[in-house]
Amino acid sequence: MMEANTFNLIRNKLDVMDLYGYEITEESVTGWEFYFIRHKLDQNRAKKIGSINVTVYRLLDEGKNVGNANASFSPTVTEEEIDKTLADLYFEAGLVKDPVYKLNDKQLAELPEGQAPDVAVISSDFIKAMNRIPENDAEYLNSYEIFANAVKRHFLNSNGVEYTVTYPSSTLEVVTNARDESHEVELYRMYTSGTCDENRIKDDVTRVLGFGKDRLSSVPTPKLGSYDVIFSTEAAAQIYSYLTYQMSAGFVVRKYSDMEIGKPLSSEFSGDKVSIRIVPQLENSSCSFSADSEGASITERYILKDGVGCGYWGSRKFCQYLGLDDCSNAYNFVVDGGMDSEETIRSGNYLEIVEFSDFQVDPVAGDIAGEIRLGYLHTDEGAKIVCGGSVSGSMKEAVSDMKFSAETVQYDTMVIPKVTRLKNLRINGAE
Amino acid sequence: MKAPFSAYLDSIAPAVHEIVDTLSYYYDYVSALSTDSSGLQIVISQHSKTITNSNMTTERGTVVRVCKDGLYSEYAFDVLDPANTGSICAVIKGTLDKQIASLKSLGVEAYTTGILSDEPLTLRVEKEAEELPENADIEKLAEYFGRLSDSGMKEIPDALDCQLRGVSTHISKMFISRNRDLRQSYVYTEGSVMAFSPNEAGEPKLYYDGVSGCGGIEILYGLEDKMKRGPQIVRDLIFAEKLVPGEYDVITEPGITGLIAHEAFGHGVEMDMFVKERALGKEYIGKRVGSDLVTMHEGALCSESVTAYAFDDEGTLAGDVTEIDHGILKTGICDALSALRLGTVPTGNGKRENFSHKVYTRMTNTVFDSGTDTLEDMIASISFGYLLEGMDSGMEDPKHWGIQCLISRGYEIKDGKLTGKVVSPVIMTGYVPDLLGSISMASTDRRVDGNGACGKGHKEWVKVADGGPYLKMKARLG
Repeated sequence: MMEANTFNLIRNKLDVMDLYGYEITEESVTGWEFYFIRHKLDQNRAKKIGSINVTVYRLLDEGKNVGNANASFSPTVTEEEIDKTLADLYFEAGLVKDPVYKLNDKQLAELPEGQAPDVAVISSDFIKAMNRIPENDAEYLNSYEIFANAVKRHFLNSNGVEYTVTYPSSTLEVVTNARDESHEVELYRMYTSGTCDENRIKDDVTRVLGFGKDRLSSVPTPKLGSYDVIFSTEAAAQIYSYLTYQMSAGFVVRKYSDMEIGKPLSSEFSGDKVSIRIVPQLENSSCSFSADSEGASITERYILKDGVGCGYWGSRKFCQYLGLDDCSNAYNFVVDGGMDSEETIRSGNYLEIVEFSDFQVDPVAGDIAGEIRLGYLHTDEGAKIVCGGSVSGSMKEAVSDMKFSAETVQYDTMVIPKVTRLKNLRINGAE
Repeated sequence: MKAPFSAYLDSIAPAVHEIVDTLSYYYDYVSALSTDSSGLQIVISQHSKTITNSNMTTERGTVVRVCKDGLYSEYAFDVLDPANTGSICAVIKGTLDKQIASLKSLGVEAYTTGILSDEPLTLRVEKEAEELPENADIEKLAEYFGRLSDSGMKEIPDALDCQLRGVSTHISKMFISRNRDLRQSYVYTEGSVMAFSPNEAGEPKLYYDGVSGCGGIEILYGLEDKMKRGPQIVRDLIFAEKLVPGEYDVITEPGITGLIAHEAFGHGVEMDMFVKERALGKEYIGKRVGSDLVTMHEGALCSESVTAYAFDDEGTLAGDVTEIDHGILKTGICDALSALRLGTVPTGNGKRENFSHKVYTRMTNTVFDSGTDTLEDMIASISFGYLLEGMDSGMEDPKHWGIQCLISRGYEIKDGKLTGKVVSPVIMTGYVPDLLGSISMASTDRRVDGNGACGKGHKEWVKVADGGPYLKMKARLG
């Protein structure tokens, strides 16, 4: 952590200011990084960095409004710089008038701080895992980058809500290559997690190596027009992320979402009705916390149940604007599995797209868009490997008859159905 | 006024020299990059207001790069006691030694790279900016954004919200090695307006526009002009129809032209990708990749934009590289370590997300040259197609030269005239040489935009700018 006296110095100065409240968050990160080309080391790096983030709140207009302003302090900040910045914050907080809301005042149950993760051990585990992935001359790892971080966060607000958490946060970027005599195929993955989950990495990278091999024998995607699409990779998390944002207090207050408690996502459902819950802790998630960045306790609860809005999540301010005093931000989401098995979902004709250039579901408009880099077209005549063209559609329409499997899979902070089927998306072929 | 170089960095410069000298006793090469960049971010909408001194490029810290027996290693830190540099030197050496020991125990082999050039050079650059972010009149700015937001709500039909965002950073960077002492200070600023209105089905449609450049807060006062077209664009989006997928003659406005430049030949010729055998561009040097009308430049010297620095994060002076000359791919862009591996020279494109991140080859200004046509003639030349406007996002595929551009809207052109019909959204995909090979007209004007950020894969976000003229080409739209 930073010098304890810097944190205390700022805290003491805030305590004597004429404020409605304040929040201080001190964070330090120790990291080890390794960069490989094939399995040879290209560069090694290490870091030890930190910062203190302060938000001050002022009551304005005879208590009708509250203003806030925020600043980050470097560990080498001088007392003179602290004084100037705090004076600036006080003034700036008077310029941003929002209807009044309260800071968290509910004391947290004692949170286990956790042991400091050992970045040497975590990074070694990643290196060992990458060396155990089966490769051959035609399908192999082009390069990978390993980032192992130990993060310590200390939060305190003017109401005395305080906690410290220590947690691991890791990233693995992998580029795979597949080749035949005439051309090569490169595929990209970025995995985020707490520590190294060797089995997950091995299974997924092996699957991706297979995708590369398949793409070598792909044909251009035909013009399919309106067609059912199955999503069976991490891209599907975008679909469910869109749905979680429909219950974001910030989205609802700003009218980016028209959802509310008791309102269904669609006027009529002919598919599976989605249920999504917030969980504070998720094994090996890179964001397993029991309290949010504003000091609110995170509890397990549904935000969507059987396709109907049943709970909001978000910042203190927006939750209170919706009349909720007991609400929090959320970092981990679990989507309940659907009615049918993966095998049943995969029946009939469909296009399973497993590689995109950059699959996106616009969180506000719900527009679905992605260039197809590898897909499996399943028709009555069998399966065909395809590549090229694009998929487009709208989640606002697709949510009414989407189907998803009972089996689920975890992608860092989200547990989602293993396969998701969206009906009648538009497929612009590449033929 | 000149943007003054950081007094903090000047104060620690002797200590950083001392660190470099001390570590040079153990290592074959040592350099340090120290940063002290302060700034602001202000966001004003009808439902939320934020003022902070923190944004994507604000930072203060140092990264030390060392090389021993051909292996380059780095250590980043932000606590420095100038009176006791021995302590941080011991931490750096101790931590890196521990990493090497760990790697040896795992049987890891390392690449061997030559020693970076360290030709003597001293430089101090302070660029012009009218209003520095640290001296900004925040009250005036907040009032201005509030007024624009209110006016957007009145003028934009059924607006759900109208958000104004301004970001400005006063960047100070200092590169020190045994023989070099480079110091630069400049300010970049970007601002945007974003408004949402629902269509008949209740689907929110987004209007977005922005201003950016190398300069101070004064740049943000250009947003008012940008907002003049907002109400009409929102109406266009609300009544937009779905596009019928297919191949069309299209005209790209400079924002889309820039997106193509960035995705097609920006990432495709980043030469750290050549080192990893990840880019098709390597095999196309000297070959035709576009029509005769395609000439493209890349470099921090190309435009006074958000990324107009004097030297990069490895101490290489900024450049201006002609990547494509009349359709022929001439060269790529390169960071210093990749240049050593490839036996070429660095181009001033070694950039970090911040001091604690690794250097990669990154874009600065990526810009198509202008042509000789007018926009009116370009529209008149199309029997059926679209004028594409509003860049949303893009993604490259350097190994196969695939490109994906998500575009806000397309204005229908029929028999040489705009019909008033609008389609939205538009996904443009294709094979880069086919796309650039089809460019048949280019307008005389050009624009360079620097809003947003660029990632390498899905991380390492840095400021870039891109642009060019209106271009006419054939494209696959979906």
